[in-house]
Amino acid sequence: MSALADTIELSRCASCQAQYLPTDGPCPHCGSTETQRFQGPALGTVLCATELVHPAAGWESPHRLAFVELAQSVRVLVVLEGSVPSVGSLVWVRRDGELYRARPEPVVPTQEGRGEGESPRVGEADTSFEPPR
Amino acid sequence: MTVHVASVGMGRFGKRPEGLIDLAAEAAGLALEGVGRKPIDLLVVGTMLAHGPHGAEAFLPRLAGRLSLETASGLRVDSASGTGGMAFHAAALALESGRYERALVVAAEKMTDHTTAMITKELAASLHTSEVAAGATMPALAALVVQRYLQRYEKSTAVVDLASVHARAMASRNPCAQFQKPVTAEEVAASREVALPLRLLHCSAISDGATALVLERGHGPATVLGLGQGMDALRLIDRDDLTTFAATRVAAKRAYESAHLTRKEIEFAEVHDAFSPFGMIHIEDLGICGPGEAPEWFEEGWANLDGRVPINPSGGVVGRGHPVAASGLAEVAEVALQLRGEAGAHAIARPPKIGLAQAMSGIGSHNFVTILGKVGP
Repeated sequence: MSALADTIELSRCASCQAQYLPTDGPCPHCGSTETQRFQGPALGTVLCATELVHPAAGWESPHRLAFVELAQSVRVLVVLEGSVPSVGSLVWVRRDGELYRARPEPVVPTQEGRGEGESPRVGEADTSFEPPR
Repeated sequence: MTVHVASVGMGRFGKRPEGLIDLAAEAAGLALEGVGRKPIDLLVVGTMLAHGPHGAEAFLPRLAGRLSLETASGLRVDSASGTGGMAFHAAALALESGRYERALVVAAEKMTDHTTAMITKELAASLHTSEVAAGATMPALAALVVQRYLQRYEKSTAVVDLASVHARAMASRNPCAQFQKPVTAEEVAASREVALPLRLLHCSAISDGATALVLERGHGPATVLGLGQGMDALRLIDRDDLTTFAATRVAAKRAYESAHLTRKEIEFAEVHDAFSPFGMIHIEDLGICGPGEAPEWFEEGWANLDGRVPINPSGGVVGRGHPVAASGLAEVAEVALQLRGEAGAHAIARPPKIGLAQAMSGIGSHNFVTILGKVGP
């Protein structure tokens, strides 16, 4: 399995300088079609996340979605891999065809016996989702 | 404006055996009876879903034929779940132009003869293609919005449950509503998960139903005082703030300006709570209360029939049922019924003079605000 890329391709509007995802199409802010692609950090913060009990046709349960904010306030809707992360946690975002996927950033292991560089598997991190009550 | 709602026709919302045209004709017939079958020179119709034998194809000529209105002019509008609101605005503006004297507006939807999966897919067609590509559905995006709202204002899901309790309590008094039984907060909190924080009893139901109004030039107990509409980015990530619907704020500002009224003069409102917590966001966007204050509105009973500003006396979308295109017109119909003194068991305690209806397309991409009020004796 290849390592996660730490960058992601973004678009920057040549007219209003807004940065955005998905990279396709005109600038969502000013409509300009003059855009430039560039690589930006792929690590983002979860703004909110949910799990659809009955996913749309063609998707398997559980189907988890989140709004994630990357650097420069670039927001993207992602399909989550692993458990529903808590708000504010960090995820790595990558493009997968027409959509974007995200997986939790591995936490630094603290348990005894887990060597440096040996990342916990997805789902082992603190990804419990507890809606505020 | 020199346009008023002369009559209202509504059948029961819910699972109905009839097809789309039958449902539309039933509501239209009631509205036409209300004006003594006076001649109609404009027919405005709206329906959203385009599937199957009850589908939207040729809806206008089919309904015109059924109602013997082929000699009238006709318009068909489509704005997803805001279709009914758009239909009303189109008719009111056409009458205001002076070109027509009396319009019949009909919005209808037939949904229960199709699977939930198919309805979910068709409703998702009003979302952005990139959202659909990620497998997003209406409840999924609504859940993300509600989660942001609760997080921003540090509220618990208990307030969301209260909005559903309110909706169902109001609906239990409305004979046209799909849901006739109230629910408790405990029942809402125990209902099955849809997309947390949303549970089944926070979500509006697939429903069949139609609403019809006759609009005339002139003034009356339900005169059109103001209209406003607003649009917003279709894709949610392109919006600055997920805890408010800018389309409602713009629509409300325009409606208040055109009515020469302020938000403080609105005595009651019907809002588009396709998901019960959306009702809270809407009353904030309309300026009925401030940002983050809506939960208190429901906690304190200020939204009740005898409250400060009653909200959704009909039961709203969650209580009344959601035949998507019809809901936006049902909201205006409820305001007209209240002003005309025809609301029966769901009449608000203090007979009102001014009321507001708000309709929403999709997740707030195109919203409509209509203000009606008593003019004349």
